[in-house]
Amino acid sequence: MGNITSRFPNLITIPKLLWLLAGIVILIIPPISTTATITMVSRIMIFAVYAMAYDILRGYIGIIHLGFALFIGGGTYFVAILFANVGISIPILLLAIVGTTIYSIIWALIVGKIAAKSGLLATAMITMAFAEIMRNMMERWRTVTNGLDGLTFRVPAPFDNRTFMYYACFVFLLLMAFALYKFTTSPTGRVWQAVRENEQRAVFLGYDTNRARTIALLVSGVVAGLAGVMFALLNRFANTDVLAMQMTYNAMLYSLVGGSGSLFGSIIGSAVVVLFQNFLLDLRGVHFIFERWLIFFGSLYILVVIFMPKGIMGFVETIRERWKHKKGGKIYES
Amino acid sequence: MSLLKVENLVSYIGLFTILHGINMEIQAGEAVGILGRNGAGKTTFLRTVMGLVKTRSGVIELDGQSLVGKPPHKISQMGIALCPEDYGVFDELSISENLALAKHKDDTATQDRITYVLDLFPDLKLAYKRPARTLSGGQRQMLSVGRSLVNETQLILIDEPSKGLAPIVIEKMALALKEISKKSTILLVEQNFNMALAVTDRYYIIDEGRTVHNGIMQELANDKELQHRHLGL
Repeated sequence: MGNITSRFPNLITIPKLLWLLAGIVILIIPPISTTATITMVSRIMIFAVYAMAYDILRGYIGIIHLGFALFIGGGTYFVAILFANVGISIPILLLAIVGTTIYSIIWALIVGKIAAKSGLLATAMITMAFAEIMRNMMERWRTVTNGLDGLTFRVPAPFDNRTFMYYACFVFLLLMAFALYKFTTSPTGRVWQAVRENEQRAVFLGYDTNRARTIALLVSGVVAGLAGVMFALLNRFANTDVLAMQMTYNAMLYSLVGGSGSLFGSIIGSAVVVLFQNFLLDLRGVHFIFERWLIFFGSLYILVVIFMPKGIMGFVETIRERWKHKKGGKIYES
Repeated sequence: MSLLKVENLVSYIGLFTILHGINMEIQAGEAVGILGRNGAGKTTFLRTVMGLVKTRSGVIELDGQSLVGKPPHKISQMGIALCPEDYGVFDELSISENLALAKHKDDTATQDRITYVLDLFPDLKLAYKRPARTLSGGQRQMLSVGRSLVNETQLILIDEPSKGLAPIVIEKMALALKEISKKSTILLVEQNFNMALAVTDRYYIIDEGRTVHNGIMQELANDKELQHRHLGL
């Protein structure tokens, strides 16, 4: 008897089955897990959106934005400042979402202008400086942001419920993944890839590459900003760590581990990195050497870069091609 | 009125003036060769027309409209296509994606032109879903030329299509370009004299950034002394 995929080739495929399985696992986690697990998976889903947004810049159009934390940090602080200083309600949350969107658009346009005038390296450096300026501002604006101590705040119902928040994160991940997928497979997405490969070639095909770059920055910035809103709702706390370089490095790490230039890779990368971080942290109780968990974490990063330079998705793709080749099939079908 | 008019063109890269005075007139429907020794400024001339190299002074007009100072993407949208000598294809994208990327419009006429390209270059049809990085030099050149036909183009600039190709592939390419020249205006930079002779009707010779001679291609083919003097053949 043939297997189910061979009997219904167009209806059920292995990737579709895996997606279905992942969906089912995500849906049944809340009833069978602890609050800590629910919160951790929620965080993974938010970071997955953040990593996908970063991958639009790094993996699709080839911009290195070293101040990417500006966006997630902005979203987080919009929610935190409004909830801590103005009031706690759904209309205030909507105001924070609108504010975050406008803030992200402004930063995207500024960075777009800089990227049009400067080279890749200059853009990377200038964006890093912007994030540092913003972090410093939040640190010194103590009357509103409470400086280094950060802001603790409550969130409106139903977002104060961990299970509701979990499903909200899941819906947020699905919506953003769908929207970004649509962008990357649209003609605009193809131009992004052309710019990443060779900007001059894209130019003489008739594309305004500065415009394409600005669109990528707008899409990526707004999505990362919204991830910041969700991050604030989940953590109910905001301090300047969310604007620090580490936050940008995290996005890079998720995207690199999962596979640059693949939205699905960003989701996998976020899950693998966050789970591994948590695993190492848990090992601290087993042996004192794990107090220095960052050493192991750094080692994993080095191993990934050496042995899987294209990340997990690139590795899977290579295996798939080799397997096809071994079976005697053509790697590329005409 | 000429389709392309170039007068006293001077262009530069950084501190260096590369073109010192190019003069040229091309009528719609012509196939014109740009000949000259290595380093004469032929490629720089094509890149200057395309807006990729800056113009210091002079005139470049397409159908009466000035191209000087316009960004390359605008020039492309005005109807000039460039096939650079390094092919200019996107390695990670498939043939179909490379062709799709070139589309300025998504209408029936564009689709018909893509069908025409695939009929002209059957090799591209056979490897339609393959990434460009897996193609041979000849196939990449076909893709480069094919891509320039996807839109309604007024003028196609082709830079050394025979470079690095096997004689049999050069022959195929010459036939294809001759076919294309029946429908389009072509400006062909070529070192391979036989290729230029097979494709073009008129020629301009560039030397040290200046146009030094022009005439009918067949007359140049018969004049060994002129070939020796200007082209070192």
